[in-house]
Amino acid sequence: MSRNDVIRATDVRKSFGQLQAVNGVSFHVREGQCFGLLGPNGAGKSTLINMIYGTTLRGSGELTVFGLDPSHEARSIKRRIGVVTQDNALDESLTVRENMEIYAAFASVPRDQRAPRVQELLHYMNLGHKQNEPIASLSGGMKRRLVFVRALLNNPELIILDEPTTGLDPAVRHLLWGKVKQLKAEGKTVLLTTHYMHEAEVLCDQLLIMSAGQVIAGGSPEQLRAEHTPGYVAAFDDPPRLAALKAHAESHGLQASQDSSGLYIRAPHLEMLLRFQSENNCAAIQMRPSNLEDVFLQLTGQELTADA
Amino acid sequence: MLETLTLSLSIVRRNWWVYRKDFLANISPTIADPAFLTLSLGVGLGAFVTSVDGHTYLQYLAPGLAVSTAMFTAFFETSYGFYVRMTFENIFRAMLTTPIGINEIVLSEFIWVALKGAMMVSGICLVLALFGLFTNPWLLPICPLIGVLVALPLGAIGLIASCYVKNINQFQTVYSFVISPLYFFSGIFFPLAQMPPALRIIAECLPLYHGVQLSQALFWNREVVATWTVHAPILMVYSTVLVTWAFRRVRLRLQT
Ligand SMILES: Nc1ncnc2c1ncn2[C@@H]1O[C@H](COP(=O)(O)OP(=O)(O)OP(=O)(O)O)[C@@H](O)[C@H]1O
Ligand SMILES: [Mg+2]
Repeated sequence: MSRNDVIRATDVRKSFGQLQAVNGVSFHVREGQCFGLLGPNGAGKSTLINMIYGTTLRGSGELTVFGLDPSHEARSIKRRIGVVTQDNALDESLTVRENMEIYAAFASVPRDQRAPRVQELLHYMNLGHKQNEPIASLSGGMKRRLVFVRALLNNPELIILDEPTTGLDPAVRHLLWGKVKQLKAEGKTVLLTTHYMHEAEVLCDQLLIMSAGQVIAGGSPEQLRAEHTPGYVAAFDDPPRLAALKAHAESHGLQASQDSSGLYIRAPHLEMLLRFQSENNCAAIQMRPSNLEDVFLQLTGQELTADA
Repeated sequence: MLETLTLSLSIVRRNWWVYRKDFLANISPTIADPAFLTLSLGVGLGAFVTSVDGHTYLQYLAPGLAVSTAMFTAFFETSYGFYVRMTFENIFRAMLTTPIGINEIVLSEFIWVALKGAMMVSGICLVLALFGLFTNPWLLPICPLIGVLVALPLGAIGLIASCYVKNINQFQTVYSFVISPLYFFSGIFFPLAQMPPALRIIAECLPLYHGVQLSQALFWNREVVATWTVHAPILMVYSTVLVTWAFRRVRLRLQT
C-alpha cells in the first residue's frame, strides 16, 4: 500500500440477508490509475461501488477513500468523486440543460459558475445542440453521454463508472473510451466496471475479477493473460468433430475448453496451433492471440456478455 | 446544517421544475375537486340544509375544503409521487452519489409539501373569499400556515406509507383506511357533535380535525387566538412525531 492510494479495501464484506453479495474483497486503487472491476452479473460490483460512497454500508472490513471512511464521511468523499450509475436516472420530463443545472446545484458548483460549466461539459460531449430537448427525445447513447458529463460537474478527482458503455453502439463506446483516456491523461483516477473485456483491455491498468462476491484474480491485463491464458487461441465450430478434436488436443498437452459457442484450443506458440490444424485436417474459424475474454472464460467458467 | 438546507432546497427546486412542466395537469385536481364539491354539496345539498352551527352549508363546508386540499396535496406527493421517484425513476440513487444524503432527501420532501400545501390552501382560500365565504379578509395572510401545519403530518404519513408498501397498488389500502376516514370524520362535512361520544373522541384525536378547527376559526373569524393556541401546538406535536418516524423509515429504506 502506498501513500497515494485513492481507495483501499481490506476484506470488505456485505450481505443482504442470507446472500453474501461481497465476501472478503481486498484491493487498492492508486492515484491516476484506471482500475477495472470485472465479473459476471451479480458478482457484487455495484454493491462494492455503492459502499465506496456510503449509500450501502459495509458489513465488515476496512474501506477508505482518500483516507476517509465512507460510513461516516460520505459527504466529504462525494464532493471529490463523480459517479456514472448503472441506471441513468435522468429526469425524463426535463431538458438536457435543466438536468445538468440541477446536478450542478447538487454538486455544489457555485451559482455563477453553473451555467458556463454546464455549457462547457455539454459541448465537451457534443450535446450542445440538444440542450433544450427533453430527455425523453434522446437516444440511449446520448443519455449515457449526458450521464457521463453529469458526473464531471464537480471536476472530480475520482470518477466511478458502473458499466458506462453497456448497450451502446461502437461509435459511442469509442467516444467514451476517448474521454476516459483524456481524464486519465489529466491525472484523474478512474474506477470502472464493465462486461466488455476489450473495454477493460483498452482502458484499465489494473483489474480485479470477481465472481459471487469474491476476488478470483487480479493484476494488469498483461499479467492476467500471461498467467492464465498465455499464447494463442484457435476456435473451432464443427459440431460433429469437436469431441474428437478436444481429445486430440488434450492428448498433445494443449489446453482445450468447450462451450455452447464452440471449442477453444490454446497454445503458447502459434506454430503449435497451425500444426494441430494440419494434423487434424481442420480449419479454425478464428486464430488469434489470447485476450482477456479468454482469461475471463477460463476463470469464471462462463461466458460474459454485456446483455446477459 | 446550512449545507443541508442548501442541498435540500436544490432538490425542492428540482421538484418545482418538474412540477411546472405540467402545471395545468398538476394543479387541476387540486382546484377542480373543491370547486365541484362546493357546487354539488354546497349549492346542491346545501339547499336542503337550513343551518349548521349557525352557518349556511356552503359557509360550513368552505374551511374544511381548504384543509382537505392541503391533505391531499401532501399525501399524494409523498406517497405515489415519492414512491415513483424512489423506485421507478430511481432519482434518489443518482442524487445520493452527490453530496446529497438521505437527510437532505427527506428534508426536501417536507419543505416541498409544506410549500405546496401553503400555496394550495392560499389559492383555495382566496377563491372562496371572492365568493364571500371568508368573513374577515385581514386574516387571509394566515391561511398558508394552515397548509404548512396540515401538510407536514400528512406528508409524513405518505412517506411512511411509501416505505412500507410492497408495490404501488397498496397505496389504495392506505388511502381507504387512513386518508378517507380523515377526510370524512374530521368535521369537514358535519360538526363532530353529531357523532356518538365514543366516536367523537376518536375523531377529535385525528390530526386533520385540528387543521379543520384552525381553518374554521379563520374563515368564520371566530375565537381565532383561542383556537390557534390550542390546535396549532397539537398539530406541531403530531408533525414532530410523524416527521421523526418518517426520517427513520426513509433512512432504513434508502440506505442498504
Ligand atoms: N439492496 C439489495 N438487497 C438485496 N440484495 C441485493 C441488493 N443489492 C444487490 N443485491 C444482490 O447482491 C448481489 C450482487 O449485486 P450487484 O448489483 O452488486 O452485482 P453486479 O456485479 O453489479 O451485477 P451486474 O453486472 O448485474 O450489475 C446480487 O445477487 C444482487 O441481487
Ligand atoms: Mg452492477
